[in-house]
Amino acid sequence: MATQTPTKPEKDQAEKKIQMLRELYADAPEYGRVALEHVIERMKTEPPSGEETSSAGRTGLRRGKVSELTIVFPLAPGGAKRFKAVLDAGGNVNTPDRVGSVHDMRYVFLDNDTRILFATTYDGEWDPYVDDFASHIPDDLDAVFCNCEGWPGIHSPAVKDYIAKYQVTAHAWYVAQPNLTVRDLRKLAKIGPAVEEFLDKIA
Amino acid sequence: MPTTAIQVPVVAARNIQVEASDVQAIVLRPRPKPYRGEYVILRVGDAGQGREMLRRILPHVAPAAEWWVPSLPGWLGIAFTFEGLKALGVPQASLDSFPIEFRQGMAARAAILHDLGANAPGNWEHPFGTPDVHVALALYAKDDETLQKVLELARKAHHDLADISVVYRMRFGELPEGRNPFGFKDGLHNPHVEGSGSVPQAGSGASIKAGEFILGYADENGETAETPVPQELRQNGTFMAFRKFHMDVAAFRRYLRAQASSPEEEELLAAKMVGRWRSGAPLVLAPDQDNPELGSDRNRNNVFSYTDDMKGLKCPFSAHMRRVNPRDALKDEVVAVNLHHFLRRGTNYGPPLPEGVLEDDGAERGGVFLLIGAYLKRQFEFIQSQWVTDGNFISHGTEQDPLIGNNDGDGVFTIPQRPARRRLRGLPQFVTVRGGEYCFIPGLRALRWLAALGSCS
Repeated sequence: MATQTPTKPEKDQAEKKIQMLRELYADAPEYGRVALEHVIERMKTEPPSGEETSSAGRTGLRRGKVSELTIVFPLAPGGAKRFKAVLDAGGNVNTPDRVGSVHDMRYVFLDNDTRILFATTYDGEWDPYVDDFASHIPDDLDAVFCNCEGWPGIHSPAVKDYIAKYQVTAHAWYVAQPNLTVRDLRKLAKIGPAVEEFLDKIA
Repeated sequence: MPTTAIQVPVVAARNIQVEASDVQAIVLRPRPKPYRGEYVILRVGDAGQGREMLRRILPHVAPAAEWWVPSLPGWLGIAFTFEGLKALGVPQASLDSFPIEFRQGMAARAAILHDLGANAPGNWEHPFGTPDVHVALALYAKDDETLQKVLELARKAHHDLADISVVYRMRFGELPEGRNPFGFKDGLHNPHVEGSGSVPQAGSGASIKAGEFILGYADENGETAETPVPQELRQNGTFMAFRKFHMDVAAFRRYLRAQASSPEEEELLAAKMVGRWRSGAPLVLAPDQDNPELGSDRNRNNVFSYTDDMKGLKCPFSAHMRRVNPRDALKDEVVAVNLHHFLRRGTNYGPPLPEGVLEDDGAERGGVFLLIGAYLKRQFEFIQSQWVTDGNFISHGTEQDPLIGNNDGDGVFTIPQRPARRRLRGLPQFVTVRGGEYCFIPGLRALRWLAALGSCS
């Protein structure tokens, strides 16, 4: 897909996709159809970005070294109140610093506090590390997720299946730096000022 | 399987003694020393004949309680691939209960294990990675003469059974001074299995729960494995990753020569890559030069921790030994090192490359490693994918193990030092996978259960 000179079948495919897009947009508002034509023009001239999206283990997407995890858990009765309180107290939000592979995390309460959307971007795959998390940060996980309906506990063998059950794979996802892990970024953040200081000294 | 999160404290586990008379010797006991041996791989074309072969071979399979009895001519271990268990007629429900990685086999896990390029299964020796690998025999003896006797025992177990065929044989044996082909004394560390009856080796660290290495006992999570079923098949069994490596000793020597400006520096760089000097002396205890006396002292050569080397100035973070067994080096990270161990039984094959030779003589030489543990996924596969073929866990980006990584002329090796770290570049591939298989190593009663399969149905 990233090639500058697409072979003929690929070109045909691209044409087909554009054709399909136009058909789908036949029912869209006028300004939407105009916008689509502009987008199509741009897609033709701008090559797609280099990193292709692939699957990250069980579910979820992966780009380069980075993966996404999106989950919508049902909340237990009274769970939302506890959940918000523990988040407000700082519980769990600081844990990723220790884990060293989490880029971001967000908690969004949905449907009148009956469900919670948890979305995170992290390095590599979580599957190999689930046992490590259960061993090292069980309280950080259980303290928040115990508020979800049916959470079996991080030590339960059923926990991987529970998570997989409520996981929804993102349909599309953008990562600015797919080849930099949190550890890479931390290192660069340290090296940057050191290089500036070095340049100041030799200038 | 329990679905609730009840954490049962494993108070009783301390007193559990592993039933060594039912565990195969190959799991719990170091190989004999000196040693001669042969790996033989069989294909079972008929389940009845396979079980007959098993019945005949059973009396010769060494239990861990009797390893290295000088009156016996030799020792034999036996293991089965998933295809092998199928070929022996193991019931479907039982087959289905095996972990996914074992059912798929090592070749199918190549992407996870980063067995790419020259290490890819497509480049492996036949029959590795094909459905023709069923039964693996490991035969050990103290010399060639006694090895012949053990081989004869194995041969008699199937020579008149037309549907049992030998699909692979390879001889192995100890190199001078017990060194590996690269010239290093190795095999100096193995975790101590709690309740196994063996005396902990100095420096082996805290004993690890038996369930990490043998099914039927509590593991480090406080759980006792409930698969595969039935219990008769599972009890006292375990899994093994069999890996045959080719070692390009000449390339290793040439690389050191090119990077160093003196023979002393060559030795230092070699030690930095391995984590130990050739004598076995660990860098943490002997950072500047080899100390052969330390290297040969079993009471001292493994007694060290990384607490006073957290910057890697003595032993680099990326050194082979520090990667595959980080000890306490990752104590500040969210990594449960106790969940990522295996028992490592290494054997060498091929002639040594004469001292000073820098050109490859074309001889096949290297090592075969039996990496044994109850959980291939979080033990062998974790170590291989996270620690050997990646560098992120030590903030080294994609840097791989300098010795056994898949470096292909583009490898990098970081040596922390002051004022600035040194980086070796252009690392070639020193070690190439020639083949591998995931095997199940049943206990002795389980072997009898397998042998009796046909008779009850």
